[in-house]
Amino acid sequence: MNCSEIQARLAAYVDGEMAVSQIAAVEGHCLECRHCAALVRAEREFRQLLRRQPREAAPAELRTRILRQVRREAALAKGRRWLPASAVAVAAAVVVALLLSARTPPLVADLVDKHIAYANVERPTELASTDRREVAEWFRSRTGLRVTVPDYSPSGIHLAGARLAEAHERQAAYLLYEKGRTLLSVFMVPLPASGGTLRGDRVRYRDQEYVTYERKGFRTVSWTDDQAVYALVSMLDYDALLECADRLRQERAQQTRL
Amino acid sequence: MALVHLDALYRVAVRLARNRAEAEDIVQDAVLRAFRSFHRFDPGTNCRAWLFTILRNVFLNRVRTQGREVPEAEVGDFDQVEMAFDTDVDRNPEEQFLQTMLHGDVDRALTTLPLAFREAVLLVDIEGLTYREVAEVLECPIGTVMSRLSRGRRLLRRALERYAREHGYVKEDG
Repeated sequence: MNCSEIQARLAAYVDGEMAVSQIAAVEGHCLECRHCAALVRAEREFRQLLRRQPREAAPAELRTRILRQVRREAALAKGRRWLPASAVAVAAAVVVALLLSARTPPLVADLVDKHIAYANVERPTELASTDRREVAEWFRSRTGLRVTVPDYSPSGIHLAGARLAEAHERQAAYLLYEKGRTLLSVFMVPLPASGGTLRGDRVRYRDQEYVTYERKGFRTVSWTDDQAVYALVSMLDYDALLECADRLRQERAQQTRL
Repeated sequence: MALVHLDALYRVAVRLARNRAEAEDIVQDAVLRAFRSFHRFDPGTNCRAWLFTILRNVFLNRVRTQGREVPEAEVGDFDQVEMAFDTDVDRNPEEQFLQTMLHGDVDRALTTLPLAFREAVLLVDIEGLTYREVAEVLECPIGTVMSRLSRGRRLLRRALERYAREHGYVKEDG
């Protein structure tokens, strides 16, 4: 690709909307061309400026007003029976959940729900890939995040892909691994992630502190370093999860040293 | 399942309507409509895009009945202005002015954009939707999203540069 081709695709590249096959061409070009590299940097900075905008919450009074109205409608709908009662109940529950979700459940609980949601959709990842380097590159070009993609293959746990997730209104990196038919989700939520201290039991494993927590039959292991909150969610047992957590920590430390 | 928060709907509504009281009415109306038409929501599709689509339609209906801002007409006018600008635009990769933005400048600049550009920038850059989701919300092809986004960002940059000049951060000759 030449300069004008790159510049025409700059936005898609920085927005992470470019085909993986073209990303390498852009990056190759930017290694050689300082002008295009500077344009990419400027585009990224501009995006970051926009993303950094304060994210205000809806007024509490509005939330209460809407909740009251939805409940009233649900009661009326049941009375009229123009919809099966179960459909009304589902709709009301979903709308109420939608409004209450802004009350910020504990971060890890939220991540377990995401794990369950992803496990139930046809395409849980935005990028289906078994290539760790490709996945790391995808995050870097899409968000500027340096994501560590640990290698769990010695334990028979294989990378399946990645996506951008949102956790507590923060953009989070999500990695999906599979061990046979068992899924393992790895979340990295950049600090400052809201939600206070991690909920659960404190455990030590190979001289490091972790928090374990179970929800809806899923086990989680989470911890925080100076950059992010990390959480592993799976049906795998705690030994396997702690092993994976330790491995991620080591690879992360290695990466930051580089 | 519904991962869009009321907060996101509210933020978008405020920036579409440029008026808090009106934004509250729009959000309330949109949530009730979502509730009433929930049985028509296809669980295989994107809930976030679905909710933003309802919100936008509520907003556009109000605009139309009140005979105010009309998105399509505005785009046409700006197409020509932009063409004239494009020929002599020299992209400046340094853009130090970005570091000097004051709190509120981005919002102020955003509200000056014509609706068609404002909504594209808002959904992608502030709320983090993908091009595909935005195309769904705006009911237009992805190519149109990309071109509106690109023009919207350019207008936004220019407005921000203007503010930076007003604040005295960059020299007039820039």
